[in-house]
Amino acid sequence: MRTGVVALTLAVLVLAPARAAHAQFSFDARRIGMGGVSLSRDGNVRRYNPAYRAVKNRSNISGAPKFSIPVPLGLIQFLKDHPLNQLSHDPTFNPESSAFNPVELMNLVFNPPIFYEVKKAPAPTNDVEFTIGRNQLVMNLGGARVLIPEDKFGLGTTSRLLDMGVGFAGFHVGVMGFLQYDVGFTLDSMLRRALTDTVVGFQPSTNYNILGDGVAQVGFAPTLSFATRVMRGTGGSDNSDDGVYVGVAGHYYMGGTYGRATGPGGFTTGNPIFGNTPLGILDDTLYTSNKAFGHGVGGDAGIAWITGPFEVGLGANDIGAELTWSDTKVQRIRYNPATDSISTTLISNHVQSKTKLPITYIANAAMRMGTGTTVGGDVVNSGRGTAIHVGVEQRTGPFAIRGGIARDQRKRVQFGWGGGLRLGPLGLDVGFWTHSNSLSPQRAITMATSISVY
Amino acid sequence: MKPLLSALLALAIVACGRGKAIFNVDAYSFMSGTGRETIPYAIPPGGGSASTVQKINLPPGFGKSIVDSVRITTGNANLFNTGGTGSIGFALFFAADSASTYTTSAALNVSSTAVSGVQGPVPVVITGDLSSTVNSLFTQQTLWIRIAAVGTNGGVTNVTGQGVLTALVIRVVVEDRIF
Repeated sequence: MRTGVVALTLAVLVLAPARAAHAQFSFDARRIGMGGVSLSRDGNVRRYNPAYRAVKNRSNISGAPKFSIPVPLGLIQFLKDHPLNQLSHDPTFNPESSAFNPVELMNLVFNPPIFYEVKKAPAPTNDVEFTIGRNQLVMNLGGARVLIPEDKFGLGTTSRLLDMGVGFAGFHVGVMGFLQYDVGFTLDSMLRRALTDTVVGFQPSTNYNILGDGVAQVGFAPTLSFATRVMRGTGGSDNSDDGVYVGVAGHYYMGGTYGRATGPGGFTTGNPIFGNTPLGILDDTLYTSNKAFGHGVGGDAGIAWITGPFEVGLGANDIGAELTWSDTKVQRIRYNPATDSISTTLISNHVQSKTKLPITYIANAAMRMGTGTTVGGDVVNSGRGTAIHVGVEQRTGPFAIRGGIARDQRKRVQFGWGGGLRLGPLGLDVGFWTHSNSLSPQRAITMATSISVY
Repeated sequence: MKPLLSALLALAIVACGRGKAIFNVDAYSFMSGTGRETIPYAIPPGGGSASTVQKINLPPGFGKSIVDSVRITTGNANLFNTGGTGSIGFALFFAADSASTYTTSAALNVSSTAVSGVQGPVPVVITGDLSSTVNSLFTQQTLWIRIAAVGTNGGVTNVTGQGVLTALVIRVVVEDRIF
């Protein structure tokens, strides 16, 4: 049982802070130095805005390199601190060691040591104190109390696993794979209070629940898209990118499979608390597709306007994407305290159900001034929370300095700064980035380094 | 459902990182109101003892943890002697079941207090580190405690009375092993 407990515990810790490191992580030190904003016409803008299919990605205009090669100083430092031939004795990975700290291990998972952590977020190392009486259970988590989530926590994203096809005259015909999952948990108010209140704690004959709601669906979608410049800018040359671009895409979603579970899990304390065994609570509803090919239609739309040094874009994906699953099984999963067993009851079978794909979007703007200054920003929602990035780059000869500010998906403000040196076709960039990806109330600072090839 | 409760407690332990888990177990609360907090004694000439046994429930999920130390931080009792002259001390025994508390060695011995005739309340302080041999018991979900009033009697009549426990808090410091 303990293994399961530990697994659940670690899973909760992994899920708890609703981290989305993938949305904040980039191998490009330039982007990191600008607070996460990308001033080039690739990456997020092409992913979320179909109008950018018609816009040329000119590196000579955006100042963006053709590609960047990360310099993994963090990995070098990590291997120096944790030699591979001594991992079995390394306190970081050895739970039997007195110096083993599971929080530090989880922070390592959240922050893969690609780049160098200039300032590590301090892992909580305080003592946890329990007061136990026949009718009393109080937990004092000390400084670690801030890790108890106040709102719904979990993780989720919408990914396009592949997007391939052929294009001609602005049209693009292809197929994309999609994967969407969203797993969320909410501590009910009683449980949250019991975990954070150092005076009252748990009460007798009281329900304490974690409310769970998770859905996962995967499939593919034949896609027809079209993107074009509908209006040329005035005064620009034929070679100019000036103009208004629009793009649309229609998808016919063919879901492979899906599952959804929702309901509470918890326990009822005895009366007195340690006088009786707590009674379990589990009353969940589980939806699973019996057959593949849930069907649905949806679309992407985007627009981009480029005029001289200024460009702005807005794109959204999976608009109206609702899949209908014609053959679904609905089951109720309950825990029976009397028999200490979990029972599964078929509520209905071969029934129709529906799922939705969340709308994801990006709004971006950039302005390239003649003085070598470029400013930009974007608002991105990849399916679970909105991230805002604003950044600026100042180029002077071979040198560049950068700065930026962002609000991450956890609504925390983060900062980026850095610089670069370009020598002909090569450049070396350094970017610093604060982040809250660690199990800690404090920010950490990462230094990213990369070589840019122009 | 024990798994979730265990998970929550383990979550708390994991959240403390490299810190310790400290349990302040109010053992007296398990006895209070049941009559087991009272130990009537009748010590015959030459000495003897009387005791009370109590089961204590602890949170689940710490079976693989290592107990650093166990200490009685707060312990108080009153002696109410009703006859005879001698001394009364206390001994605490811990075991995984009730019967074993009678065969195991005392984890803590409290020095004797002299009593004579009708006397009381005579306060007795019960504090000290428990023998490390009982450490592993505190990682289990239940354990039994036996509190014995151990008396000496140099007279010819029984030393009679009762010891009444008024507080007993056991502090257990655990170094968790979560795997």
